Amino acid sequence: MSTLKHKGKGPQAMTANELRDGFSVWLDPSMNWTRVFADALRTEDTDVMEQMQAKADADELGNIVVGTYFIDIEPDTGLPVRYREKFRVRGPSYDTADLLEAK
Amino acid sequence: MYRYDEFDAELVDSRVKQFRGQVERRLAGKLSEAEFRPLRLMNGLYLQLHAYMLRVAIPYGTLSSEQFRMLAHLAEKYDRGYGHVTTRQNMQYNWPKLEDVPDMLADLATVQMHAIQTSGNCIRNVTCDPYAGATAEEIEDPRPLAELIRQWSTFHPEFTFLPRKFKIAVTGAEKDRAIIKAHDIGIQIVRNDAGEVGYKIFVGGGLGRTPIIAQVLRAFLPREDLLPYLTAALRVYNRYGRRDNKYKARIKILVQETGIERFTEQVEAEFSVIDLEGLKVSEEERQRITDYFAPPTFETLKNDPKALTSAIADDRAFSLWVKNNIAPHKADGYAIVNISLKPLDMAPGDITAGQMRAVADLADEYSLGELRTTHQQNLVLPHVKQADLPALFKALQKVDLAADNINLISDIICCPGMDFCALATARSIPVSQAIAERFKDPERQRTIGEMQIKISGCINACGHHHVGHIGILGLEKAGVEFYQVKLGGDASESAEVGKVTGPGFSQEELIDGIERMVDYYLDMREGEERFIDTYRRVGMDAFKEVLYV
Repeated sequence: MSTLKHKGKGPQAMTANELRDGFSVWLDPSMNWTRVFADALRTEDTDVMEQMQAKADADELGNIVVGTYFIDIEPDTGLPVRYREKFRVRGPSYDTADLLEAK
Repeated sequence: MYRYDEFDAELVDSRVKQFRGQVERRLAGKLSEAEFRPLRLMNGLYLQLHAYMLRVAIPYGTLSSEQFRMLAHLAEKYDRGYGHVTTRQNMQYNWPKLEDVPDMLADLATVQMHAIQTSGNCIRNVTCDPYAGATAEEIEDPRPLAELIRQWSTFHPEFTFLPRKFKIAVTGAEKDRAIIKAHDIGIQIVRNDAGEVGYKIFVGGGLGRTPIIAQVLRAFLPREDLLPYLTAALRVYNRYGRRDNKYKARIKILVQETGIERFTEQVEAEFSVIDLEGLKVSEEERQRITDYFAPPTFETLKNDPKALTSAIADDRAFSLWVKNNIAPHKADGYAIVNISLKPLDMAPGDITAGQMRAVADLADEYSLGELRTTHQQNLVLPHVKQADLPALFKALQKVDLAADNINLISDIICCPGMDFCALATARSIPVSQAIAERFKDPERQRTIGEMQIKISGCINACGHHHVGHIGILGLEKAGVEFYQVKLGGDASESAEVGKVTGPGFSQEELIDGIERMVDYYLDMREGEERFIDTYRRVGMDAFKEVLYV
């Protein structure tokens, strides 16, 4: 029986937050965590998803990431389906820090 | 200002040490996230949408210049160069790293600050009238009372795991600048017919998904009974408050379901059997705390000195700033200065480290080293000589803090929304900026007059949208943000929850709709009516008609 936690439909990506810095991360095809969503692994292959789940569980236990979960991906765009997840990908649309950097 | 005694200092230092150990154990894998999460939350550390967020407590919104410089230091050393003033007078940092947080808390402890009571189901940081100790409107300075509640509530063993968080606000004036009726318990300092000073206790207010205006629990409570009475109220809540459903766990739901009469009986019954001796505060102790807030020695000055009147006559920008941002002080020749954190190009409540340092310096130079944060996400310099206002204004202009929009349409309360918050359903910052941009003409803002727009990015209502003259709630459906509008809310002493107008709008439609309502108000207003006055006179239907044209 599958131990996959995801209940989504279509392509999936695995996401979490880094334990130390808190930044949003996604698993890439090398099963490493990336802060760049464009590099994220998106798959419908349940065998691969099993590997992603195992890696996520191991890295949660290994205190590398927290709060792992699968997200649904739009097949056409490759972007997350849920609005909230789109925001985790894009980052804030406004951040005062960006103004400071621009100055 | 209150100065920590040895007990306070040891308490905070030991808490920092304890949390440092907890973080070390978490990073070493000796604590799981499930074990660590409640511990970090008890120290104000959240994991938000993109990163950790640290919420620093500013008890009753009062800060020394030294403390504000420390907040600047934190922003610069550990964050991305700025902080965010919250609607409960605290300061949030959006980008700290977990391993830095113990150092941040240690740095804060050196200036008697911490992040205790900024999260969790405990009695949260007490909030207060930002004009406390400076306004002639108050019966007495409410900060000694707030400080007493802080001391009583910090790590209170009986009330650390309440059914839900518990917020207390206090004011010493009839005019409510602390939105006390939107709190679990609101306290107003009052006089009884005999002229004695005591407390009017409100209970069961709150915003969130079920907005309710607080009701009177006790019309007059003698001073010495305060802590026993609060203990009784908290005990009743702790005993009967719902723990089966977090959305129905706040005291407002208990009061509503029980009925205020029955709830009052329960509190009075508990109060009648409570061990008063252990809880009553002696007059000596009350005076000890009050002495820390003794009014500064104000110079003997006259109102409207020539330096002020000349500058008003010569400098239109200054005269407009004085008109909008200055409030009367209890001492002749002094003024209360509101510093707007709502410039056009920044998020409401955000302030850079450089600006914090500049304000700290100005507080030293012009306001006896003291400043305040407000629940409207602005700052206050409480004790400024009127003759110094021109120089202060020029200094504020240099650091982009001279916006003259206090209480105007661009002085918007706004939560971080989807841009930062893990709970949000839609963005709120871009909406506030779009409204500010649409109404950026200063003349137009002044023509509109007092207007309170409040925006929340989800139903938890951190942006107080329920009590905005125009309240805006951001929601999302099928990946599209939309905004619901409320009208007629009021955050003052005549507090009222606004009413939903109907279906929501896209951001663009929303801004157009607000503009139409504002124009309609300007057409319809009589005399000196504010938007809210005209709305109350004309009614919802007329405004709805122009909103949904």
